[in-house]
Amino acid sequence: MTTTPRPVDGASGAPAIELRSLVKSFPPRRGSKDAEVRAVDGIDLRIEPGEVVAFLGPNGAGKTTTLDMVLGLTEPTSGTAEVFGRRPREAVVGGHVSAVLQTGGLLRDLTVRETVRMIASTYAVHSPVDEVIDRAGLRRLADRRVSKCSGGEQQRLRFALALLPDPRLLVLDEPTAGMDVTARRDFWDTMHADASAGRTVVFATHYLEEADAFADRIVLIAGGRIVADGTTAEIRSQASGRTVSATLPPGSLAECVARLRTVDGVHEVEERGSRVVVTAGDSDAVARLLLLELGGTDLEIVTAGLEQAFMTLTGDGRDTRATGVARDARDARDATTHDEELVR
Amino acid sequence: MNATFTLLEMRRITRDWAGMFFTAVLPAFFYLIFGATVDAKDATIGNGNVAMYVMISMAAYGAVTATTSIGGNAAVERQQGWGRQLGLTPLADSSYIAMKALIAMTVAAVPILLTFTLGAATGARGSARAWVLSAVLCLVGSAVFAVYGLLVGTAFRSEAAVGAASGTMVIFAFLGNVFIPLSGALLAFAKFTPLYGYAALARYPLTEGYLPDGSQDPLWLPIVNVLAWLAIFGTAAVLLVRRGRERQ
Repeated sequence: MTTTPRPVDGASGAPAIELRSLVKSFPPRRGSKDAEVRAVDGIDLRIEPGEVVAFLGPNGAGKTTTLDMVLGLTEPTSGTAEVFGRRPREAVVGGHVSAVLQTGGLLRDLTVRETVRMIASTYAVHSPVDEVIDRAGLRRLADRRVSKCSGGEQQRLRFALALLPDPRLLVLDEPTAGMDVTARRDFWDTMHADASAGRTVVFATHYLEEADAFADRIVLIAGGRIVADGTTAEIRSQASGRTVSATLPPGSLAECVARLRTVDGVHEVEERGSRVVVTAGDSDAVARLLLLELGGTDLEIVTAGLEQAFMTLTGDGRDTRATGVARDARDARDATTHDEELVR
Repeated sequence: MNATFTLLEMRRITRDWAGMFFTAVLPAFFYLIFGATVDAKDATIGNGNVAMYVMISMAAYGAVTATTSIGGNAAVERQQGWGRQLGLTPLADSSYIAMKALIAMTVAAVPILLTFTLGAATGARGSARAWVLSAVLCLVGSAVFAVYGLLVGTAFRSEAAVGAASGTMVIFAFLGNVFIPLSGALLAFAKFTPLYGYAALARYPLTEGYLPDGSQDPLWLPIVNVLAWLAIFGTAAVLLVRRGRERQ
């Protein structure tokens, strides 16, 4: 599997994140006969300073658990996690890493500024409170109670809190879960505006567009393992080429399908009513065959999108989990399931 | 100790007007009704009078209402994600607990001061030693109920449950010989309930163990009651926190 060229940080030789054989399992619920749950099942990963990396995967893929171990919020069952060559908790205490977590977890009866002041007071050295509030676009909301802020505004507040130690590594766990389209765009605009040179950013998401638009590198996670790792373009190309579809004359369908299956570079042939859908590396050859020899009409050629690549790599496309992802990618309102997972 | 953090926490508590009313004003009001204005208020008990006896009882009730709710809300906050937010900062768990304990004690001191001040103004009488020691015992003993709040907050994970736990203090106060003097079988039963030992201990410098019905408790009885309930609450809280941690 190919990986991105990695920028090297001159100041420090240690990678921003280094995970070795990382495993986290949870005991089964008391009294249940289920086996233990392996949320993270052997992850090896190295992220260099300056990279912007997306952890992409369906709900329950192990993204949050992996990031929790990077942040020292959870101890691995086995394996190690290091941040800039240190134990995660040391990196947090030193202000080298901070994070924007999922929804929940702010004190509703404080104002925005009070929340920033409170968290700021836990650091020996931190950026000025008002500067951080400005950078997160919260100046007008500074005196508003957290309980009166929208989900997007609360997320910008978490972002302000994460900026306080001026961290070298910023972790964002599903930062836009539960936001509407406008709020999501606003959040990423704020992020882009702040993307100061050299800050390493790692974010978890199940929105393909977000991974595509913001990350240089995508780490695809499913079932607690890394299933693909590369640039957006590389991930896309790993999906099998293009899809060619055409309507075939009635009666000849079965025969044509059999014929198409023998063509070199054809990955999959599927019948959909009177149409046939062919996934192939060499789409031109398939198109020629369909039009010239098999009597096909209404021909369409489609390049596999990232979504399809995602489905190919995390399952076989009809896998319930993969289709679940495609649905989740369109549904922003599933943040509650994450919260339940956290509170558990 | 982090002054900014502690002061902001204090500000949150003073913003909760309803909470402050039940914690601070209600016990003082109860004292005026059940202590300062009753016919028997000047009757002698121990080295003082009945007004003083009621005053200490009500102060104790106010103090435990405060510590139960602060302990409980701390547990709920931490589980609702604030614990994870704090986990991303250099703040150590021990400093957090120390700050919350300081806040709980400060807030518990409010009903004690208010009720004692009213008592002094309305004819509560007792030895100087009884005034000082009772106030201190009210304050220190209320910490046991911070653990009770922590237990309820950890078990039920909702602010409503913590509110209910604070409310159950009314029931414990009736059962524990705090609000009205009990006698007979009810009094015998009361000695096993959580508030009995704490309130009896807080009143001990005044009563020397004498009860309104004329009987007398040995000193070890309230002490054993307090220690037993501390052990029960503490063990249950530790078990629950440990179970929660396994699942994180």
